[in-house]
Amino acid sequence: MAGPLGSVVELGAALDAGETSALALLEAALARAAAVEPDLQALRGLRADAARAEAEAADARRAQGARRSALDGVPIVLKDNIAQRGEPTGCASRILEGYRSPFDATVVARLRDAGAVILGRANMDEFAMGSSCENSAYGPTRNPWDPERSPGGSSGGSAAAVAAGIVPAALGSDTGGSIRQPAAFTGLVGMKPTYGRVSRLGLVAFASSLDQIGPLTHTARDCAWVLDAISGHDPGDSTSLPEPPLLCAEALDGDVSGLVVGLPRETAGLEGADPRVLARVQAAVETLEGAGAKCVEVSLPHMRYGIAAYYLVATAEASSNLARFDGVRYGHRAQGAHSLTEMYERTRSEGFGAEVKRRILLGTYVLSAGYYDAYYRKAQKLRTLLRADFERAFEGCDVIATPTAPETAFPLGAKADPLAMYLSDVYTVSANLAGLPAVSLPCGFEDGLPVGLQLLGRPLEDATVLRVADAYQRLTDFHLARPPEPA
Amino acid sequence: MSAAAAAPHPDFEVVIGLEVHCQLRTRTKLFCEAAVSYGDAPNHHVTALCLALPGSLPVLNGHAVELAVRAALATHCTIHPRSVFARKNYFYPDLPKGYQISQYEEPLATGGWVEIEGADGAPKRVGLTRIHMEEDAGKSIHDGATTETHVDLNRAGVPLVEIVSEPDLRSPEQAGAYLRALRQILRYVDASDADMEKGQFRCDANVSLRPHGESRLGTRTELKNLNSFRFVEEAIRAEVARQAARIAQGEAIQQATLAYDAARGRIQVMRLKENADDYRYFPDPDLVPLVLKPERIEALRAALPELPEQRRARFEAELGLPPDAARQLTASRALADFSEQAARLHGAGRSVANWVLRDVLAALREVGIEIEASALTPAALAALVRLVDEGRVTAQSARALVPDLVRAGGDPEALVRERGLETVSDRGVLEGLVEQVLAAQPQAVESYARGDGKALNFLMGQIMKKTRGQADPAAVRALLVSKLEG
Repeated sequence: MAGPLGSVVELGAALDAGETSALALLEAALARAAAVEPDLQALRGLRADAARAEAEAADARRAQGARRSALDGVPIVLKDNIAQRGEPTGCASRILEGYRSPFDATVVARLRDAGAVILGRANMDEFAMGSSCENSAYGPTRNPWDPERSPGGSSGGSAAAVAAGIVPAALGSDTGGSIRQPAAFTGLVGMKPTYGRVSRLGLVAFASSLDQIGPLTHTARDCAWVLDAISGHDPGDSTSLPEPPLLCAEALDGDVSGLVVGLPRETAGLEGADPRVLARVQAAVETLEGAGAKCVEVSLPHMRYGIAAYYLVATAEASSNLARFDGVRYGHRAQGAHSLTEMYERTRSEGFGAEVKRRILLGTYVLSAGYYDAYYRKAQKLRTLLRADFERAFEGCDVIATPTAPETAFPLGAKADPLAMYLSDVYTVSANLAGLPAVSLPCGFEDGLPVGLQLLGRPLEDATVLRVADAYQRLTDFHLARPPEPA
Repeated sequence: MSAAAAAPHPDFEVVIGLEVHCQLRTRTKLFCEAAVSYGDAPNHHVTALCLALPGSLPVLNGHAVELAVRAALATHCTIHPRSVFARKNYFYPDLPKGYQISQYEEPLATGGWVEIEGADGAPKRVGLTRIHMEEDAGKSIHDGATTETHVDLNRAGVPLVEIVSEPDLRSPEQAGAYLRALRQILRYVDASDADMEKGQFRCDANVSLRPHGESRLGTRTELKNLNSFRFVEEAIRAEVARQAARIAQGEAIQQATLAYDAARGRIQVMRLKENADDYRYFPDPDLVPLVLKPERIEALRAALPELPEQRRARFEAELGLPPDAARQLTASRALADFSEQAARLHGAGRSVANWVLRDVLAALREVGIEIEASALTPAALAALVRLVDEGRVTAQSARALVPDLVRAGGDPEALVRERGLETVSDRGVLEGLVEQVLAAQPQAVESYARGDGKALNFLMGQIMKKTRGQADPAAVRALLVSKLEG
């Protein structure tokens, strides 16, 4: 069986040393995909021919000494909600069947500029709504660590593709934890940058005020390389921050002496927290203390309302963002309808899955006259309070550590109750509501399954959270563990 | 008809508030780079955003903001340093995103006014509740033959301002006067071309009745899509009559959205209040609040041109014009600019103003264009009037040249020479002519001798006829008198 690919840094070094070529890496990735995909179902579409042409171009550049970046020639996959010119952008939904994007997302353009080879698209929960990858219209992706378990969601396909060694890096999107929770479930580093760091132009919107694109990789350094390539101001996204591209890779000096790590006292009290996960997080913080960091208790009194606020804001925005999928201009349209209303109703009934419909209904209700103040406005107030909580907490610490998810990867089908599923996001939604940078990284194993440590930083301090994550990985080897090879 | 002339309704006070949608004069749409066009092939000016393709995002057009601020400043509104774009959610095929980006809780501007002539002839200020920015929808074209509906998205995303008046208007005529005044202001400040035929200036009217002396407002109905000044007044008149008749029969007015069938002069109920849509407004998370620094607002205020009202007053004072003449000359900024420039180049404002009022406006009507499209320059008009002043061409000949100058332009002096219109004032030539005429008209000479003054005019006429109007009248008269009396 074709073996897994290494990390971005390893592959980049091998390319630089002339030990391999971009084309060889791509063929290895395709071979690996062919070997693991029948069981894994991580990918939605491979563009082998186009990727071969890109890899050959990358090799030609290197041969001429004109390497574009450290990522030049490195294969990567993108979540199915990130637009690539000429390719389907499906969001794992029936409603976008047949649609091809006429334009590249800004992140795609930047990856191309960096020379990355785009292998294909990754499976996801439909329209990024879910925490298990089971809400894909094309069936769930499986967790490489245990095929009976979920890889997390909604960027489950991106996570599984990297964890299984098909590619060294993938892009996901994170609205309430959709990069970090799958990273935790599959033993990867997954980063949600500060809101506005990475352009959303070309990302199919779920909840515009919360969505951010970010990398999933094996290491913090890999993550920094990819994030540096895709970040920076984009005039095409009005919510993009007026900041230059990040230079995180330069900041990874391994030094955490004097760093103050905050542990929210509310963490343990949140619903569904597995004590074994909490213990792993505690141990991870102690590891950092051993390297000179200090640990303090902080308080985030409004964190416990995060899930409630999140599911009001996210569904409200989604109900409006998904109105465009009406069968009029592209994608699925119900046949044989006799009136406009019937065409809308049947198109959307046939095109959307159950969870998407549930959230559109909820969001429509949340924004309705007479309920707006009680729900949407109140949820926005909670965001302000939560932001203030974090500001206060960060007066006394540099990063905040929590579990990424309350538990390790759960079995497929285990969370049939939507509310139980929503609670998977209890630790992650706060970073989206407050717009903060947050990274998940592996900090141990329970019953052979990875446990995720989440580190949150001050707004714009993306480099700080990655510096701490990298320092932790210099002290530990959890990130070097790979899932068992399939039988 | 002047607003003052309209008789009030005998039984009720009519209360009208207007909502105007006016297209801003930008090159591109409000949130993307697609061109603003009119009459082009359908769906030729659309971007990913116009089509609401997945992943497309809006970016605010700064020029549209400046034009909207200009419109708000020109109508004496307070510009808010922070305003917020909101989504108005509803499903329709010509609304690709499933929502219209508008402003709701925090509009661009509030609290202005527009001056019109009130019922007593005195100036009346019509209050403005608010001005906000929003994008237009596309067009649905229903094919009656096939039951198909075609969608044209060229208009989708075109920038508009919605201008909402207070319920300060008291008659259909006042509503018309307000719309004309508002349109004039918007055109003056170049915020909009406000061409009603192109749908760039559209109006909805809220109409209610209440007994004279009552301070509470009656139940109102909303007349949608009134797209000409005439229809606005007609429709409101019809709705006032409809409401009055209902009340007279003891029926309550139901809050409703109405359409005016101009062909039949009838009001049609489109939708009752209880069926009203819930638009689920909320701030658009794809856009950031629009923040206008006070310096920027003040710079835009400083750059505003003189407004119609001020200009009218100045024309009265500086050119010595009666109010009606000043009003006519300031009807559009282009006409006022033309008149003022011609007056300045010539020197005698009143005289030039009269030329514009009498001859230029008539020529424009004859050619069927506005002053902007005319080839006549202010300098040419000033030169033409100067030729008349100097007696080098008669007023009659000069006047006949105006339509050609409007059509084709040119230098009046050269034109006069080319066409041989120069006044005949050569004494030798005129003397010869006078002697010929006197010899041919002995009866008139006799009448003059008997003291009949009209005989002199007759003889003058004969000479002018011989010179096809080009003889210098003063010189002819002097020669005639000296011959007759000598």
